[in-house]
Amino acid sequence: MSDAKLLVGPFNRVEGDLEIRLELSGGRVARAEANSPLFRGFERILLGKRPEDALTITPRICGICSISQSMAAALALADLAGARMPPEAMRAAAILHGVENLCDHLTHFYLFFMPDFARAGYAGREWHGQMAERFTAAEGSGLRAAVEARARLFHIVGLLGGKWPHTLAIQPGGVTRAPTRRDRIRMQADLRQSRAFLERALFGAPLEAFAALETPAQYAGWETGDAGLFLRAAADLDLSALGRGPGRFLSWGAYPLPGGRAWAAGLWDGTARAADPGLVAEDLSHAWMLGATAHPMTGETLPDEEMRETAYSWCKAPRYGGQAVETGALARQAVAGHPLARALAAEPGVTARIGGRLLEIARLQILLEEQVAALRPEARFMDRVALPAEGEGQGLVEAARGALGHWIRVEKGRIAGYQIIAPTTWNFSPRDSDGTPGPVEAALVGAPVAEGEEVPLAVQHVVRSFDPCMNCTVH
Amino acid sequence: MSQIETFYDVMRRQGITRRSFMKYCSLTAAALGLAPSYVPKIAHAMETKPRTPVIWVHGLECTCCSESFIRSAHPLAKDVVLSMISLDYDDTLMAAAGHQAEAALEETIEKYKGNYILAVEGNPPLNEDGMFCIVGGKPFVEQLRHAAKDAKAIISWGACASYGCVQAAKPNPTRATPVHKVITDKPIIKVPGCPPIAEVMTGVITYMLTFDRLPELDRQGRPAMFYGQRIHDKCYRRPHFDAGQFVEQWDDENARKGYCLYKMGCKGPTTYNACSTVRWNEGVSFPIQSGHGCIGCSEDGFWDQGSFYDRVTDLTQFGVEANADRVGMAAAGVVGAGVAAHAAISALKAAQRKTQSKNEDA
Repeated sequence: MSDAKLLVGPFNRVEGDLEIRLELSGGRVARAEANSPLFRGFERILLGKRPEDALTITPRICGICSISQSMAAALALADLAGARMPPEAMRAAAILHGVENLCDHLTHFYLFFMPDFARAGYAGREWHGQMAERFTAAEGSGLRAAVEARARLFHIVGLLGGKWPHTLAIQPGGVTRAPTRRDRIRMQADLRQSRAFLERALFGAPLEAFAALETPAQYAGWETGDAGLFLRAAADLDLSALGRGPGRFLSWGAYPLPGGRAWAAGLWDGTARAADPGLVAEDLSHAWMLGATAHPMTGETLPDEEMRETAYSWCKAPRYGGQAVETGALARQAVAGHPLARALAAEPGVTARIGGRLLEIARLQILLEEQVAALRPEARFMDRVALPAEGEGQGLVEAARGALGHWIRVEKGRIAGYQIIAPTTWNFSPRDSDGTPGPVEAALVGAPVAEGEEVPLAVQHVVRSFDPCMNCTVH
Repeated sequence: MSQIETFYDVMRRQGITRRSFMKYCSLTAAALGLAPSYVPKIAHAMETKPRTPVIWVHGLECTCCSESFIRSAHPLAKDVVLSMISLDYDDTLMAAAGHQAEAALEETIEKYKGNYILAVEGNPPLNEDGMFCIVGGKPFVEQLRHAAKDAKAIISWGACASYGCVQAAKPNPTRATPVHKVITDKPIIKVPGCPPIAEVMTGVITYMLTFDRLPELDRQGRPAMFYGQRIHDKCYRRPHFDAGQFVEQWDDENARKGYCLYKMGCKGPTTYNACSTVRWNEGVSFPIQSGHGCIGCSEDGFWDQGSFYDRVTDLTQFGVEANADRVGMAAAGVVGAGVAAHAAISALKAAQRKTQSKNEDA
């Protein structure tokens, strides 16, 4: 194919709106620009509000990871007040948050990512018939089963949080509902059904067997369940070489528990390093935003209504120590030290990203079972927290898609600054002032685009392997 | 009648059995509060009427309405409803992407001109010529106007489409505007809530598909069958309100005992929705049951009434309506006075008991 430009989008089956502008050369992507065409201005809406209102407003940034937002807001307020949830409340909050993340991974795999393999473009491949039966959008047998399994898992959020999406139960001082023994039994029943679904449909084997994989070769050799079906197609299409990211992975650490975070925070680039939130800055050179590069505690959100020519997205470009980093399940598991994730992080393509997520599904189900079993209904689930009239706080959590941070500044009892950096802001960031592309923009370079292919399948796979949540990206 | 298939045809094609179909009709009748005699009527309508196509579009939003919808209560209801609408256009669930998707939208509009229902999730931001929400290279408001032109009726899903929701909170940076302020020449049914309850969504859509008309609406345009009562009317904590027993702090003993959350800012007394009866996540619970007050997310302007934790006192924005909402407006005063009255009565009763026990002692 000769040199050309191609605009891919709107992407469906993602949360929110996304457009990617591609420049092609010799049948491959030579340059990519990711644009988030949706802006709502949450960071501006929060200004002047009472700090505790962030607990209600920020979850509404996103209908799929609303507990992650709620958790980040609660931790930011707790940090502002110098408070900490009582131990059992941490556990209850971790269960709420973990269930949402687990459900997000299932949604991604079954509803958003896999249906692309059922497309007509792949007819004739030995695995296509099976894919079509399992994953045809909105109809496949796998999709239906996953939606049902997910709805059952959300009973747990219903029990602890009253409703999902937009749960209100997580507060800086703890959770508003003290679970009862009966709740614990019901949650265990829901988790048993979830395990049964995962072992029957997704892995076709005990979770522990998948969680024990150590090398990419063992992973590539996994044959059973929908995971095995994916790996067959992935090997056929050489997806491990497709969509290589920057190879630097950030995680704020997942699930604060009484003994520390279940999965540690840090940076992984072949070596484990500590993560310092002080090194985060948002670059605005290619965003329709006004202002200088700034740390989120001092940053502002001033949309450039002229939509200047040199910019192309509403998304700011967050950088860690000046560098673009990838975030998500693979990052989280690699930083946490899982041998398979660390090995896959050295070849950070589509297959590796899906591997990180599958691995986390298995490990998260096990973690949830342990936490529900450890929950002590007689304990305290809420402490009193008095928010100061002046101060700062940061709340760092791991959403399903990766590192999420809230930074709040309070003056005279009102919000004077509120900045949010969501996982997809990291992954789908535009270029920075050095011209360094964001992780997805870099990962797309080299993706093949066949002659006349208007919706290039390779591009779909790469973009979806990051599980974009555009609602969160620009809020 | 060979042109468009019936609902029943579609369901059969999706592998839904006759038995499941009849069960679905009963469930629907029950969900809509109809007598059992309606079951055969629903079944008959679905067997004979051509399927009503649904186009589902997304504006400025967070997708929470779709999220709520696809985990609708009964898996059967979800399957049936999804099978009815997924064939047309929905950009969160459909297979097509990019230009194919845009083409699918055009084709659906063209094919079912004047016959389809347009379901809108989210709303159009109007500032800067709509550039804050671009779909397929054009402002969402244009897609909305275009798709609405030939629609039979419009469903405004959720607080965003119905009223604006938190993204329209002061200073409303993008001028997020509810659907009925942009489309003024079509029947619009509002299904507010952030998000609406899944059962309410499937109930409304099934009613419209089955009976081919809008359900009875209140004066704010909400289906009366689901928005006819206040959360407070059917709240399981109501006896504590009546007894003057309130949670005063998140961490107090009363919170643990499940007392009334009115003093923690619960908006149940002024909020019309089905949360306390239908509940959430397949009837498991609802916010008040989880120990947090209602924030009133199915009411217009809930996002700009001071803090979400302020006590209900002067919600002047409510009360547009004659019956239900007049009560809503009055409720502010009534609740305030009511609390005092209840406290007084409780005190009186306590005093009486004391007197009584004294008498018995004597």
